[in-house]
Amino acid sequence: MSEPARVDEADIERLAAHVGLTIPPGSRAAVAQHLAALLAAARVVDEFPLPETTEPVPRFEP
Amino acid sequence: MIDAAASAPAIAAAVRTGKTRAREVVAGALERIAQRDRTLNAFTAVLREAALADADAIDRRVAAGEDPGPLAGVPFAAKNLFDVAGLTTLAGSRINADRPPATRDATAVARLRAAGAVLLGALNMDEYAYGFSTENTHYGPTRNPRDPSRMAGGSSGGSAAAVAGGLVPLALGTDTNGSIRVPAALCGVFGLKPTFGRVSRAGVVPLAWSFDHVGPFARDVAGLAAAFDAIAGPDPRDPACSTLPPARCSEALTRGIDGLRIAVAGGHFARLAADEALAAVGRVAAALGARREVSLPEVHRARAAAQVITAAEAGAFHLPSLRTRAADFDPMTRDRLLAAALLPAAAYVRAQRFRAWYRARVAEAFREVDVLLAPTTPWPAPAIGAPWTTRIGGMEVFTRGHLGVYTQPLSFIGLPVISVPIVAPPALPLGVQLIAAPFNEAALFRVAARLEGEGVVGSPATLPET
Repeated sequence: MSEPARVDEADIERLAAHVGLTIPPGSRAAVAQHLAALLAAARVVDEFPLPETTEPVPRFEP
Repeated sequence: MIDAAASAPAIAAAVRTGKTRAREVVAGALERIAQRDRTLNAFTAVLREAALADADAIDRRVAAGEDPGPLAGVPFAAKNLFDVAGLTTLAGSRINADRPPATRDATAVARLRAAGAVLLGALNMDEYAYGFSTENTHYGPTRNPRDPSRMAGGSSGGSAAAVAGGLVPLALGTDTNGSIRVPAALCGVFGLKPTFGRVSRAGVVPLAWSFDHVGPFARDVAGLAAAFDAIAGPDPRDPACSTLPPARCSEALTRGIDGLRIAVAGGHFARLAADEALAAVGRVAAALGARREVSLPEVHRARAAAQVITAAEAGAFHLPSLRTRAADFDPMTRDRLLAAALLPAAAYVRAQRFRAWYRARVAEAFREVDVLLAPTTPWPAPAIGAPWTTRIGGMEVFTRGHLGVYTQPLSFIGLPVISVPIVAPPALPLGVQLIAAPFNEAALFRVAARLEGEGVVGSPATLPET
């Protein structure tokens, strides 16, 4: 698993409010842990130097 | 004799020629479900009366001299992510159990029925297909027929267990990050994740639109090919479905492997695995004379990007329910979906852009090779309730999430993959992925048929005690 980013329960509450979510108190620590893991995965992708011309085209024809 | 070990083509041949009646086949399968599913918990609904009525209709067509279809009288079941007319589509959840019954079959279900197959029921899964273990809190864990103390894998765990346990010869599942291949490997059956767009997803609850796939499970290659041939092809109900006409893979099984360039996937696909998982790949490679190794670039980033895209799309799809009914989600999925709904948009777009780059690089690799070999999972089925993390190769990894370490980077770009089973009791089953370029399922079936014919892979019916 990737090195987790730092996300705390206050971050979770603030972010959740922006999308109209209420995180159950018993879930906040776990949600913070999962979001940290997802952000770590995003960082692995972000560290790759993509050419500016690369478009997100989901085309799979051979 | 039609028994638990009979293949779909053998059943269809017997029914079509009048050697046996579809009713006898279906009644036998229903009896096995009644006896064995108390242990396995693969089914969430059994359509006993409807299945017997459908079987009778097949028998009437045979008696009238009509063509009852290539899968006449073959029992099958579908993950409860698929719409079945008259049945509520649970998607492994308690929330969707409150919805009205579906009014129309999912396209894949309808196509198997049109081919003469008989639907016996709906199968257990991880809630909303977001998991690799089918340890469903609402409906109970599905148990692995090879060892009922072990996970069946997921998210199509009920599908794999129903086939491995001899309850049905065919099942339908879905695969976004490995949800057909992982349970196929852990339960010791064949599982096909076709090319993205090759099989319609219409009438299937989405996990992640970008790489949700529908595919079949079977205990033999001919059965897998027959099911794929029945369900593949264009469908205007699915906007991502390709309009390319499908190649009939049943006809590829006798073509042999002459001319196919086969190599072992190295790098990422040879790391962080138990020795026996890598040995399984070595055994398959030796049988095929595959000595070359090919390393795909940046596979670990592909897996990371697949995680980000899956989370972002699943979080967005479930946001309305997360706002109003968070407490009703399975605890195994709720906190992950809540986190997923908080991901920044830039992470998602970046991952989609990386996907385009990675797809182009892998396409270049497939100019030099036709079929790649890789482990399906890094280890055999963990125990149900296993600890959250496991140490391997000096690293601490998520026990369940790591099951997808070799499958996620492949469905991420829509490649067709068959997971072939190596079942050698008392060892637990393992799977090996056969991977091809988009729309080249025929090459996979040629290789799978060769391996099955030589006895290197196969799915014997080692059935649970009742």
